Amino acid sequence: MHKLISFAPDYIRYIIKGGIKFYAWMGFLAILSAFSLYGFYLQNTEGLIVTGITSQIHDGLYFANLVFLVGVAAGAVTIVFPAYIHHHKAMHEVTVLGEMLAMTAVIMVMLFVFSHMGRPERLWHMIPYLGIYNFPNSMLAWDVLVLNVYLLLNLVCGFYFLYVKYSGGKINKNFFMPLVYISIVWALSIHTVTAFLISTLPARPMWFHSMMPIRFILTAFAAGPCLIILVFLIIRKNTKMWIQDDAINLLSLIITWCLGMALFLTMSEIVVELYARTEHANGLYYLMFGLHGLTKLVPWFWGSLIAMLTAFAMLLIPGIRTNYKLLPIACVLGFGGIWVEKGMGLVVPGFIPTPIGEVTEYYPSMVEVMMSIGNWGIGFLILTVLLKGAIGILLGEVKYGGSKAEKSNDVASGGKAAAYEAR
Amino acid sequence: MTHNKIPADHSTELPSKCQVQPEPEDPSEVNSRRDFLKTGAASLLGAAALMTQSDDAQANIEWAEHFQGNYRLMTDQEKVEARARLEKRYSEEYGKAVTVDGTPAKEGVLLGYALNIRKCIGCRRCVKACVAENNQSRGPDAGQRIEWIQVMKMARGEFTKDKMADGYPESQGIQYPEGLGIQVGGNAYSPAGVVLEGEYFYEPEAVPEKDATYMPLACMHCEKPPCVKVCPVRTTYREPDGIVVIDYNWCIGCRMCMSACPYWARRFNVTTPVLPKAEMNPKTHYLGNRPRMRGVVEKCTWCIQRNRIGRYPACVEVCPVGARKFGNLLDPESEVSLILARKNVFRLKAELNTFPKFFYFFD
Amino acid sequence: MMSQAAARLPHTKHGEATIMKKLIFNTMILVFCCGVISSAFSEEVICFESRKGASEVTKHDLQPGLPNVKCSPKTGAVLWWGDPFDDTVPLGDMPLLGHISPDKAVVKPRSGKLTILPMCGVACHNGVGPAFIPPTLPKDKKPKPLPMMETLLPDAQNLQHGRGGIWCLDCHHTTQRNKLVDNFGDPVSFDQPQRLCGKCHGDKLRDWRDGIHGKRIGEWASNGKKRWFVCTECHNPHNVQDGARNKGFIQIEPELPPQLPKGMKNANHEHVHGISQPHHGASSQH
Repeated sequence: MHKLISFAPDYIRYIIKGGIKFYAWMGFLAILSAFSLYGFYLQNTEGLIVTGITSQIHDGLYFANLVFLVGVAAGAVTIVFPAYIHHHKAMHEVTVLGEMLAMTAVIMVMLFVFSHMGRPERLWHMIPYLGIYNFPNSMLAWDVLVLNVYLLLNLVCGFYFLYVKYSGGKINKNFFMPLVYISIVWALSIHTVTAFLISTLPARPMWFHSMMPIRFILTAFAAGPCLIILVFLIIRKNTKMWIQDDAINLLSLIITWCLGMALFLTMSEIVVELYARTEHANGLYYLMFGLHGLTKLVPWFWGSLIAMLTAFAMLLIPGIRTNYKLLPIACVLGFGGIWVEKGMGLVVPGFIPTPIGEVTEYYPSMVEVMMSIGNWGIGFLILTVLLKGAIGILLGEVKYGGSKAEKSNDVASGGKAAAYEAR
Repeated sequence: MTHNKIPADHSTELPSKCQVQPEPEDPSEVNSRRDFLKTGAASLLGAAALMTQSDDAQANIEWAEHFQGNYRLMTDQEKVEARARLEKRYSEEYGKAVTVDGTPAKEGVLLGYALNIRKCIGCRRCVKACVAENNQSRGPDAGQRIEWIQVMKMARGEFTKDKMADGYPESQGIQYPEGLGIQVGGNAYSPAGVVLEGEYFYEPEAVPEKDATYMPLACMHCEKPPCVKVCPVRTTYREPDGIVVIDYNWCIGCRMCMSACPYWARRFNVTTPVLPKAEMNPKTHYLGNRPRMRGVVEKCTWCIQRNRIGRYPACVEVCPVGARKFGNLLDPESEVSLILARKNVFRLKAELNTFPKFFYFFD
Repeated sequence: MMSQAAARLPHTKHGEATIMKKLIFNTMILVFCCGVISSAFSEEVICFESRKGASEVTKHDLQPGLPNVKCSPKTGAVLWWGDPFDDTVPLGDMPLLGHISPDKAVVKPRSGKLTILPMCGVACHNGVGPAFIPPTLPKDKKPKPLPMMETLLPDAQNLQHGRGGIWCLDCHHTTQRNKLVDNFGDPVSFDQPQRLCGKCHGDKLRDWRDGIHGKRIGEWASNGKKRWFVCTECHNPHNVQDGARNKGFIQIEPELPPQLPKGMKNANHEHVHGISQPHHGASSQH
């Protein structure tokens, strides 16, 4: 019990300590977070009129980020799955980092949900018994369920693992492993349900096809690991934590094939929709070539496609895939490409034209952009904190009875040096 | 013709109901704080301020509104209280005796609507009548003007001789000897007979224009409404007489219903509605035209505040060509039933199986 | 005597006829002008109910903050009725239309609105013969030139109804000019034009009777009280063709279009064909 009580203070004490670089990074993110808070204040006094949404295009950046981040959250399974199903050693060491990322992504999803809503203070209307939870009819109700459970699963798995490491005990496999297996399946479910959220709407022909969930999952399993690789490379460079090449190589392989298949599905969609070029292809046509002379999204689509193709081509070449100077470029291209594909390429053109054929364009406002960046800032703030704590525990820098260890942080590193010498 | 099938209960009531009005409230006692409350009270951010002002009548109303349940599930007593609260607040806010009606659906009534698509001349009087009745926002800035009815102008189109040789893909400037086997007539893109593709912002001197047909669109009050299915909090639901309504106080503003509606019937209040006092229609219904708030979705209710006391919707009454018809689908003598029996009728996007109770017909 | 007078019309001495015509014409002009001036000087807001030139209504408050009508600031058309039965009278006897409960069907009387109508019956066409010389009542309903009426009523000169197949006396009663005429030659009130119009437009009459054609305001129940709009409240019987328009209804000024969504500068894209290529667009614009 005492271990549990001392876990939190030890953990927090470790997190808030850091060098100038760390504080500068955190300060920068805090400023971004302030943007988000200010945007939230504006939206809940003035209304969503401060954003670019209209009755025609009523979901924009927020919903796009929401959808994308659900994918990132699901993408964490690309670490957990090889680690626990294939017993991949390198992955096993960093599983908990994946869980931290998933948690962060889900929290960011919730931030974007709050940004998106017209009346966020009424969210309690969804809580069963207090309000009405339209389950199982509403796909949004399903989404809320799967996202919250996924957050909980990762919270429990991640922090249980960290706590056991911290206290120096042994993992109770009867408790831990079922949760891990559930969370693997659950990761698939969150993105599947999010895909269902929009693909179950016959009113929006661009979204209304059964390919949507698998496309979501493939892009998620590409975008998620892209971010994870970037984070891993940063961790390798900036902390004492060493992430094995083996883990990064497996992730980049996963990205390669998931991105390849996602591109294949994009191609299939283009062929199917544009071969017959029915009225239902209007959204895609608007995206690719413009409709009625309105072409605002055209550069976004082709830009995203080129980014994804380039990333795929780069990743196909083993020399680049294993070159950790070039790999980040491919990852940024992949991540950015998929982000645009989800947002500007999927959410917005779903509303163009409206179901009754009105063609309008989306003009995101400054507040909207600011708030989206702010939400990402909050996300990275949380991610940094969670990863730092996790790395501290993994490195053994935070452990029970560590008040002695804590006194001399250099003792730990000194010990490590000693171990090397002993070798 | 028989006139005994439907109870004639409201016919004589209507004029007298028009006269019913509550005692006007004294607005002076709360006026001073209203401006303050308007800005902050609508969100939880203002909740703390409300707590400290709990002696204030207006604050109590807002406070109670925040925590009231879904209208559909309220007890009769709670419904009466909720409406009384609103009547008090609106009367003070708009400086006139505002009534918030709660008349429920009648037994044996399933409301339906029919629109003569051949008659419509695209004059948009229905659009403006709807606004005059239903207290929509009407501010000058983009996003501040909400109209529930959209009128679409569709081209009659024309087939011309000079387009005969204008086939695809030759028209792209590339000559393919065999046209790649793609057979496209030069008149392929003539807009004749297209539905749901045309102009919404047309502004000619006079309508109908020679080369156009018109199609008004609004909520279809589907028997199987997709918007109701997707609502995570069941704030939008189908009333027993078939009207799809929204409890504005329960709406969380997630806009799923707007995505799900195949008829683009729903509008979102991006800001607090701009509704001048003089133009405010004081005869309201809880589920209908009572003033809305920022961040919620609204749509046509076939003027529930009127049809529940027997009156035609405003758009039906204003239509200068009599294209709009409204009545009880269960009454074989009603205008809509007779139209269904005699005229050629179609439902828009019938393939989606939403089963609208809004029928387009032609003579 | 009446028919004698009518028969003499074309043969009268010219000078006499001209003086008389001028006299009557001037009187009529004066009556017209008085009507126009009186309406121009009043401060009341007057809106038209269905089409310009037909029924009108003056705006006032039913109760504080609740007007009797709301009018379009752009077109002056009534958009909204506070009380649908304002100024109405029972539709009255409705032969040919089956059983219609008299208290449930009301109309706004039109006779009073037609300013010239009382004059017609009193001054000339009073049905008792020629108070003036020349006598003005025709013997039969065969078309013949009526220079005075044609000057007085420009509509009559260029009747846009029936493509030359009908003329004045097919609709207006031969002797009682403040009445219309039914199939048997009997007079019909201007408040019940459907009894005249239904002679030719039987299918429309049937639909109108059942509420499928035309406009009603009031209560929606099939047995509810309704104000019926009669034929001439919506259609101008002297002009149902109206040149270039394409439907059986007069061209009117439309209300304002919807507000452009945020960010959109104009709606010009609506004029561009949806899918054709830019250089192809010129030929497919509509």
